[in-house]
Amino acid sequence: MILTFVYLAGSLLVLGIFLDDILINIPIDGIDFNTYGRSFVLRRLDQFLIYYFFFDFIIRYFMQKLPAMSVQPYLHLPINRSSLVHFMLLKSIWSPFNLIHFLIFIPFMFELFENLDFMQAFGWSTGFTLLVFASNYFLLFIKRTSDVDARVYVGMLASLISIIALDWFDVLDFQALSGLMFNALFLHPWTLVVPLFLIGVTYGLNFKFLKANMYLSKLSKVKKNAVSYSGNGVLSRFGLVGRLTELEFKFIWRNKRSKSVFMMTFLFLGYGLFIFPNPEYAGNYLMYVLFSIVITGMFMMNYGQYLLGWEGSYFDHVLTRNVSFKDYYMSKFLLFAIVGGGSMILSIPYAYFGWEVLIALFCVFLFNMGVSSHMVMFFGSMNPKKIDLSQTTVFNWQGVGAAQFLMVIPVLVLPLAIFGLGYLIWGDMGGILFLGAVGLLSLAGTKYWISLLAKWLTDQRYNISNDFRNQ
Amino acid sequence: MEISIQNLTKVYGDYTAVNIPELLIHSGESFGLVGNNGAGKTTLFRAVIDLLEPNTGCVYIDGNATNATEQWKSFTGSYLDENFLVGHLLPEEYFDFVGAIHGIGDADIKAKIEMLEPLFNGEVLGGKKLIRDLSKGNQKKVGIAAALLFDPKVLILDEPFANLDPSTQIRLKELLKMLKHDRGVTMLISSHDISHVTEVCERIVLLEKGNMVKDISTSSETLKDLEKYFAGAGVAESAE
Repeated sequence: MILTFVYLAGSLLVLGIFLDDILINIPIDGIDFNTYGRSFVLRRLDQFLIYYFFFDFIIRYFMQKLPAMSVQPYLHLPINRSSLVHFMLLKSIWSPFNLIHFLIFIPFMFELFENLDFMQAFGWSTGFTLLVFASNYFLLFIKRTSDVDARVYVGMLASLISIIALDWFDVLDFQALSGLMFNALFLHPWTLVVPLFLIGVTYGLNFKFLKANMYLSKLSKVKKNAVSYSGNGVLSRFGLVGRLTELEFKFIWRNKRSKSVFMMTFLFLGYGLFIFPNPEYAGNYLMYVLFSIVITGMFMMNYGQYLLGWEGSYFDHVLTRNVSFKDYYMSKFLLFAIVGGGSMILSIPYAYFGWEVLIALFCVFLFNMGVSSHMVMFFGSMNPKKIDLSQTTVFNWQGVGAAQFLMVIPVLVLPLAIFGLGYLIWGDMGGILFLGAVGLLSLAGTKYWISLLAKWLTDQRYNISNDFRNQ
Repeated sequence: MEISIQNLTKVYGDYTAVNIPELLIHSGESFGLVGNNGAGKTTLFRAVIDLLEPNTGCVYIDGNATNATEQWKSFTGSYLDENFLVGHLLPEEYFDFVGAIHGIGDADIKAKIEMLEPLFNGEVLGGKKLIRDLSKGNQKKVGIAAALLFDPKVLILDEPFANLDPSTQIRLKELLKMLKHDRGVTMLISSHDISHVTEVCERIVLLEKGNMVKDISTSSETLKDLEKYFAGAGVAESAE
């Protein structure tokens, strides 16, 4: 997780360092901006900043969470209500959605101080910073109120659409407007009063709203959806293992995070539409294999990486119930088979682009079930972390550890290597069939692999349940 | 079905959480465990049903070592805490599932649940709330009912009376007494509320810092004895 974070932050920082070079070297409408000299960079950037903040707002709206501070434990203490609200609001500054801007723009600001008058550089840098915070508070206010009042939501949507329309039909020249506004920050630093005013207004709105609503009944408004009883489905006919798999499907459907993993699988079914129509890939068997891995293995990898972590909240139940670990792993295997097989069947129309696609899908599916599934189950059982089920997948790194990265080996590297080996000996189709044959061979040993997994879990059960209890 | 604990110790660092050289709970005995916080009750329970690895010793239910065999799971009902509840199910679905694990048909499960209905006191069943959205007390009702669902021969409950409403407490006590007398269920029950345990259990063991300090057959004097002990322990601790 730390690695991922360092990577993302590093990428943004590099973007920031080279931002000026990028801006000046991208010709627009055939004009080479290098001839304008470097002082042009800032004006060029200013023309786009309005779009930057616009998209930032949209991304924030969907991803930034309202700062979760439970005020309940403090309400009965002799702390001024206003101080609590101020604290909550100031804390929200530490959101990655604010800090991310500075990774990109701080190197840029350094250059401004080098190349411009101090007052000019100061005016622009401070103005930009204040606007990021104002946008933060504006978003928080919109999000808070749109949760309570649907009219805010509708109003926001309407204004977003009209802004896009105004731009699309060239009614308003947003580039010019943006340039005018942000240029003013360094041409006339006194215009800083405008972002100051904006931040004052947005902060004030939040403050007023929170202070008025800081009562338990209003803040602890958690929506609990009514769930209807669903009896035994088709799967219960497959005995206990079927029952367990059915339980797993209910699990997937009734928790936000697992549900988004599941939905993602369907989204990826469209992946082929990006590959196959491209004549460059026609007859490219490596592409077929990659495509088949994504189609039949996506769910297995995304869901299987937290195999035990999903059930962290009731692992004591898993251990004490009258179900063997073999059946337990078998039910997971069945789950992978159903979803992977289902995805395969839904992808049959891709045969339109050549029957080889079907063969590849089937052979990779065999390999996935025969080999990868067991390795995924193993990695997913290694040092599991309890998954907080109420969160969505978007930007959620909870539960990600080294084992999750190792998973790439069985799911992606191994089948490609085996295909490569077969390819070297028998050529394209031979490689694919070889992959399928290896899968089929290993599939025959399913019971043995599962018994190994069960034995491993038996050895590790104390550590795992102890970890879950302490998380 | 007797429970036999042999030479059981669980040590965390240099703190001994449980140290029981020998303890035999006879078949059909209703056995109560009392003690203050940190006395080691929950640790002992977890060791009994193989949720943690003891440093030494072993627990046998009906002759089966709980850490080496699985048969005991088919006749042992247990509920320690929310970690036993599958939160994304409705109570009814959870009961169906537990029943299915024990090979009980759907119709039989319905009948069993109807029998346990008084425990729920009109809550829990028929609602549209998942187990994870239930209140603590109602969650406990679901957990206890699931442990009773398949007519276990051995019943292990940690703090069954805590968080329950008064009506359910009374009904649970009656139910437990009935299970002991009519079905000969071996029971291992812990409680902070000594009056409940003395009412339900015929034998009470007092745990202090992991050690058994008293082993009493319940009589009319027991409650007073225990009250005296705990009042004294409280005084001793606050004097420290």
